[in-house]
Amino acid sequence: MRFLARRLGFYLLTAWAAVTLNFLIPRMMPGDPVDLLVARLKGNVDPAAIEAMKQAFGISDANLWVQYVDYLGNLFNGELGRSITFFPTEVTTIITGALPWTVGLVGVATLISYLLGTLLGVLAAWKRGSWLDGVLPVSTFMHAVPYFWVALALVFVFGVTLRWFPVSRAYGLDVVPAWDGPFVSSVLYHAALPAITIVIASMADRILGMRNVMVTTLGEDYVVMAEAKGLTSRRVMWAYAARNAILPNITSFALSLGFVVGGSVLTEIVFSYPGIGSMLLKAVENEDFPLMQGIFLVISLAVLVANFLADLAYVVLDPRTRQEA
Amino acid sequence: MTPPRYRLLVALTALVPVVALAGCGGAQSPNTGSKTAPPLVIHAVDAGSYQENFNPFHLEGVNFGTTGLIHETLEYFNKLKPGESKPWLATEHQWSNDGKTLTFTLRQGVKWTDGKPFTADDVAFTFDTMRKHPSLNRSALDIAGTKVLAPDKVEIDFGETSYAKLFNIAGNTGIVPKHVFEKQDPVTFTNPKPVGTGPYMLSSFSAQLYEMKKNPGYWQPGKPVVPTLRFPAYTANAVQTGLQQGEIDWAGAFVPDIDKIYVQGQPDQNKYFFPPEGLVSLLPNLTNPILAKPEVRQALNLAIDRDKIVKVAERGYTTPPHPSGVVMPGGEAYLPPEHKDAKYTVDIERAKQLLKDSGVQPDKLSFTLLVPSPFTDWVNAAQLIREDLAKIGVKVETRGVAFADWVSKVGKGSFDLSIRATPFGPTPYFSMRSLLLSDLTQPVGTSATGNYQRWKDGESDRLLAEYAATEDEAEQQQAVQKLGKIMVEKLPVLPLFYSPAWAQYRTGKYVGWPSKENPYALASPYVSPDAAIVLLNLKPAGT
Repeated sequence: MRFLARRLGFYLLTAWAAVTLNFLIPRMMPGDPVDLLVARLKGNVDPAAIEAMKQAFGISDANLWVQYVDYLGNLFNGELGRSITFFPTEVTTIITGALPWTVGLVGVATLISYLLGTLLGVLAAWKRGSWLDGVLPVSTFMHAVPYFWVALALVFVFGVTLRWFPVSRAYGLDVVPAWDGPFVSSVLYHAALPAITIVIASMADRILGMRNVMVTTLGEDYVVMAEAKGLTSRRVMWAYAARNAILPNITSFALSLGFVVGGSVLTEIVFSYPGIGSMLLKAVENEDFPLMQGIFLVISLAVLVANFLADLAYVVLDPRTRQEA
Repeated sequence: MTPPRYRLLVALTALVPVVALAGCGGAQSPNTGSKTAPPLVIHAVDAGSYQENFNPFHLEGVNFGTTGLIHETLEYFNKLKPGESKPWLATEHQWSNDGKTLTFTLRQGVKWTDGKPFTADDVAFTFDTMRKHPSLNRSALDIAGTKVLAPDKVEIDFGETSYAKLFNIAGNTGIVPKHVFEKQDPVTFTNPKPVGTGPYMLSSFSAQLYEMKKNPGYWQPGKPVVPTLRFPAYTANAVQTGLQQGEIDWAGAFVPDIDKIYVQGQPDQNKYFFPPEGLVSLLPNLTNPILAKPEVRQALNLAIDRDKIVKVAERGYTTPPHPSGVVMPGGEAYLPPEHKDAKYTVDIERAKQLLKDSGVQPDKLSFTLLVPSPFTDWVNAAQLIREDLAKIGVKVETRGVAFADWVSKVGKGSFDLSIRATPFGPTPYFSMRSLLLSDLTQPVGTSATGNYQRWKDGESDRLLAEYAATEDEAEQQQAVQKLGKIMVEKLPVLPLFYSPAWAQYRTGKYVGWPSKENPYALASPYVSPDAAIVLLNLKPAGT
């Protein structure tokens, strides 16, 4: 319990630091959101209107400390403010609109990649010397190739040239969002190619990581002992070796689950997927402070929660963490 | 034909050849045998998804079509023919009181789409709202008050002479229905069920697609012809694929290799028209003592090969400008008579001579050229300028920075040379004002709101004031002509090329688009209210 309480304290402190950085970082960017807006709107705004617009957007020249206190106060009330780019839409509306797409796509893809990657990693370590060794050079290659390159190559081949998959959007234009067959299958169809790219690109890490730890574990005395006892090789592989080797992978899984919320910016750009990643890009480009802060907040909280869950899983999986106190 | 989505399960079980067939058939097939006119698929602005906002007072968050298609303006100004305007919701206007009072006579018989009549109350309410909420007054109109004189007559009073703002008042302000907006806070109202007078009404909205259908009671009988408009959300990437696959009928996008990606060997069907919408210039920072010397600017001007820039960096999508910066063709009446046929010619020898005469030491002739790196065409243009200027011994270091950084640095005047576009308004006055008015500039270190090169010239200010003090078109033209003369002779900025307004339109479904031969409006779907004018001019193909 002391372990958990200490972790909890640590997370609260981290949350405060994250919230503060969320406030500071957008404000350290050069330039000003309203000037950018005027520059983007190509003469549709008279410069004399800029001051009034700044006020409406809630951009103040008050000193940072006052702004910071306001910001914390609003945060406690769950107020994230209104986006500048999409004024007057509230930041919470934008985030709740984009988040399900990201969680659905990147979340499911991360889960698939984790399960498949771990499985392949375990098998590759267990059956060394078999054809499964072929996985290694392929994984190393995929690990080294930048993600967007994989994505663009797949888009070009399967989307543009062969036209097997749609290359943009979360669902077809011929369906209306609703919980019915045509809509759901359209969503799945549109998610297929981006999900495949995420799985392909991120699986390599898991395979390599799992295999390496597994190989080390296989040399441990208790594995030799289990084999000597005459246990089935399936039992040795899963209950003795894999269970111990999986601990580092759980950490990285928890971390990546946290980052799911941030979306895969590149995936979402390549596939024009309407998730958090594309929103974040837009917010950064337009120096949309309120939207950026809102998205950063959601991301940092998600990462913290995911880490906390990983800690909990550790307590369950690894008895040593329980004994430490 | 089976739509591709039903093949999903098949796709997942990897029965690949079947899916391939379905995918090929997935391309648009507009006419399914029925006689009804097909919908028009439009890409107006790059968007990953839409937010529900149809309030014409808003700027960027508002969805395209709100002004023009739904909320109409009082008059229409053709930016491709400076000085040409059309009555719209107002049949005429009259200035009085030295340009401080403007009276509109409104069209009768116009109805809002909820059946209520459109009256002077609505116009008065619209301008009163802008007066009460400065943040909605994007043209910074100095509105003092409004008076309803009769159901079809409304007077708007201004605190200052406002002749020069007629476009902003009448041509760029969407009129809203009082009976809907008076119950809302106009600053945060998103107008999800817009009620307008325009040719279209919103029929459905989702984050990825909104649709408009024609207003059956529109005041122009028999119009519009296109029954349905579809606005799918396309990002800058997706629009390229959309054009390539022929999904989009009307787009306003930069396409890198337009013949290959879009025209695809069918120039009769897949057309494009890129008329000028602004002036891209090289800005010399005039607070730099060397660039402040006219001979140095003359020399730079003579060394830059605009034809090459247009051909190489701009892919031939635009043309070098008239040296006066006036939009051509169309702006003939505004050209300074003595420089009517002026053209840019490269003359390296004279440029070198000018530099020698200027007395500037050769090692001082070294500048950085600041460009926003996302604008790859400008980055290329900057490289070409660097090569051109090297020929006359001027060293230029090009520096690409992020868009936000560039906006900030140019605004504050911390640059030697930069490239920037100045949008044209309905007459050349608008771009001249933004380029030359000394009130817009600021000392280096403070953000300027125009005139970024920091040109301070009493003559320019006087001519701009002269234009703004009269509604007489001939006098206005004379003022602009003299400003054009300053542009040609004194080089406050070095114009490089016209910035093109992107417009791709396919004539398979509808014809009647603006063209070089008939430039009745900007052809880009993202320009309001021009897009409405274009849609009202369309006719079904093959009739």
